[in-house]
Amino acid sequence: MRRKLFTVALVVALAAPPRILWGADAGRIQFENRQKDSGISFVLDNGTVPDKPMIDGIPGGVALLDYDNDGYLDIFFTNGASLPGLAKEGDKFSNRLYHNNHDGTFTDVTDRAGLRGEGYSVGAAAADYDNDGRTDLYVTGFDRNFLYRNNGDGTFTDVSAKAGVPGVSSAGKKLWGISAAWLDYDNDGKLDLFVANYLDWSFATSRVCGLPGKRLSCSPTFYKGEPNILYHNNGDGTFTDVSEIMGISRNIGKGMGVAIADYNDDGWMDIFVANDNDRNFLFKNRGGKAFDEVGVESFVAYTDSGLPVSSMGVDFRDWNNDGKPSLIVTALGGETYPLFRNEGNGFFSYESYKAGIGFRSFKMSGWGAGIQDFDNDGYKDLFTANSHVSENADLDSQQHYRQANAVFRNMHDGTFQDVSGDAGSGMQIRAAHRGCAFGDLNNDGKIDVVVSAIGSPAELLYNTSTGDNHWILIKTVGVKSNRDGIGTRIKVTTASGLVQYNHVTTAGSYASSNDPRVHFGLGTGAIIKEIELRWPNGTVQVLRNVKTDQILTVTEE
Amino acid sequence: MRTAFTSLLFAVCAAWPAFAKPCTGAEAQLAQVSKALTVNALDIAENTLRALIASYPDCPETVLHQARLAQARGNISESAELYYRYTDKDPDDSRGLAYFGRFFLEQRDYMRADALSAAAIDKNPDDPAALALRGQILLMKGQSSEGQNLLEKAIKLEPNDPEAQFQLGTIYDKAKSAAQAVEHFRKASTLNPHDARAWDYLALNVELVGDLDGAELAYQKGLQVNQAGRYHDAFLDYNYGRFLERRNDLSGSKRHLDRAVESAPQVRAVWYERAKLDMRMQNYPQARADAEKAAACAQQGGVIDLQIYSLLSQVYARLGDVALAKKYTDLTRETPPPVRGEQR
Repeated sequence: MRRKLFTVALVVALAAPPRILWGADAGRIQFENRQKDSGISFVLDNGTVPDKPMIDGIPGGVALLDYDNDGYLDIFFTNGASLPGLAKEGDKFSNRLYHNNHDGTFTDVTDRAGLRGEGYSVGAAAADYDNDGRTDLYVTGFDRNFLYRNNGDGTFTDVSAKAGVPGVSSAGKKLWGISAAWLDYDNDGKLDLFVANYLDWSFATSRVCGLPGKRLSCSPTFYKGEPNILYHNNGDGTFTDVSEIMGISRNIGKGMGVAIADYNDDGWMDIFVANDNDRNFLFKNRGGKAFDEVGVESFVAYTDSGLPVSSMGVDFRDWNNDGKPSLIVTALGGETYPLFRNEGNGFFSYESYKAGIGFRSFKMSGWGAGIQDFDNDGYKDLFTANSHVSENADLDSQQHYRQANAVFRNMHDGTFQDVSGDAGSGMQIRAAHRGCAFGDLNNDGKIDVVVSAIGSPAELLYNTSTGDNHWILIKTVGVKSNRDGIGTRIKVTTASGLVQYNHVTTAGSYASSNDPRVHFGLGTGAIIKEIELRWPNGTVQVLRNVKTDQILTVTEE
Repeated sequence: MRTAFTSLLFAVCAAWPAFAKPCTGAEAQLAQVSKALTVNALDIAENTLRALIASYPDCPETVLHQARLAQARGNISESAELYYRYTDKDPDDSRGLAYFGRFFLEQRDYMRADALSAAAIDKNPDDPAALALRGQILLMKGQSSEGQNLLEKAIKLEPNDPEAQFQLGTIYDKAKSAAQAVEHFRKASTLNPHDARAWDYLALNVELVGDLDGAELAYQKGLQVNQAGRYHDAFLDYNYGRFLERRNDLSGSKRHLDRAVESAPQVRAVWYERAKLDMRMQNYPQARADAEKAAACAQQGGVIDLQIYSLLSQVYARLGDVALAKKYTDLTRETPPPVRGEQR
């Protein structure tokens, strides 16, 4: 009898979908836009003019950072400027910093913080570059890049000139900065800075496309690309441009998104750059001594068609729990969002159709992107912030300027399902979305999303997914390694045997900066069997029998 | 042949009395035959025409329809002879000139088709058959908006002309206006269900508007009727194979791509696509063979060198052939991506 029961149970277990085997509550992914009552009134202003120059489709970075160390994420938005003057005239073009009041509301502290900015801002990257325990901020732009040092009293100081990170090429040309990433590429305990640059465009060389009154964004193929920049942190508040000697600047691309991960598990962080209508770059870190650009060799330069897409945003994380960070890239309608699965042998395979997002994303145009576990079931899902680049895109019946964002649920078998239509009112807002940042705004263990949109209020998409799955947020504090612990690879094993991987980074998405805390959804397991942290300096730290549903601060031993 | 054509061109400029009397009373049957021929219902056309000839042996229009029927049956010399006979008798009939022009178009005699289509329009600018042919020829000559105007006028006058609907669909297809293309390809394939090209284009565009099951159905219908002849589609298996690959039906995809390389072995795109499928199925030696064949094809079929280099770099990397992988990796790197449309 007992044997019979066991057999029946075994059959049931084998027939069940994998999620039931290890115990995850199959809740629904839900987002609710709580912007209205939040006190956040930010509207991204691209300063558009009738000729629709390249620049006006591009802005919109968001950063989630806890600038005052109160344990709650604050929000920074970049903003455009008047065109062609590139001036932040009046409040409408000001960058904005909002302080999180811990009750769902925010207070605009931009002026006090000194972060209004200058010129045409695009991206933001937050991290503690000087290891003083306070999160600093780098802002990219068309005409100016800024490094703001956090003074620890709610104010920031522009240290760009002193630090030597102006975003200028070796020939003295200001490059059009889009996204930036903080990483410790040489594992010396100090965060370095990578800046992805876009096009050699100016008003003088600007072309006009489409008919008068119905102008469209010109193709970037009209313009030359620009080199990216890598700044080495000297540890004394200054940086050295090492783009040339590290093998970065010899590769000319049209960089938009940037993400970092140790894709080959050699202990050194690598860099992926999404290039618009050009081959993507994968900079393989050669032991902190140099980078080899291996996009073609790794099969991530192009999709399986051997052609480029309008690559914009990117995220670089392990979505199938095999310990190998993989990629999602956003692109324009008619191209699909490339998903490149890391095979672990130096190759990636293009799996957009295999994974079930090909047909769905074919009709979407996307900017921000994230690989995050929104329903805490232990498998990371996908999010994209959608909109076409051209304000008049609707002239083509297949394209839409204002689009709803998308969320694709991980089905645990290497495929995803588009659940956007069923993911709550927050996911039905059609707008000209641009950058988006991921993080837990209210510390409830669910990853929220803040999305910037041209001409409409930014969206605060609180994750209200149903189900009682457990979670953990891990905040790393480096001692020998960089203070933020950026680059630390974390492996979590639950009591049920589910193993997951992620790493500390604020980079990813489009022109944006994410919660530095590393999130894991844990399904129904109330205890984590083991957490293994591999710090950038090589130290391996293991924690056992850790409680779930907590924000755990781990200091490097 | 050349002499006859020259005479014809002279003749089209001269006036000719109308043939009203010998066909009086046959108008309805003539219209029925013409319609049947337009939608490729050849048996109906033939039977009706046979009865018509018996009743109206001197009606010249029966010659025109006999010519069209012979053309549709693939009897080229008989068809040509009948067209000559008809246009000699009635050089002012725009329909005769238009159908004869379409005959030449199908024979890839573009100059004569061009001349006859222009003459047909001159004779009667409101003849839908003339408008449809001239519109198609203007499209081929790169005069897109003029061609589109004529085709739109043609289907306004004769919405049941599947060829005009098909040609108009191709304009929207090229312009990536899938929803409008679907409208015309759907009409074309409904009016003439034997037209495999229309089903193929319908499938391609139905997929673009997001109806995957509709695309599947259109491919299936196209495959059922895809036989040698004027409506044959050499790329139907290719397109369906690609579609199935995207739907993750790899064995189905392989079956159709195998057929595609048999039916169009001179085209790079079919070998390229099968090589990509081989890669996905991890059959790397076969991928190498197909990719090398693709590289050797002169007729690109839309696949450029960069795509070949990128594929070969992957094939040789998978096979562990370091030197050849490097060669094609370098070529991939050195080859700039294509310049796409000027706007987006």
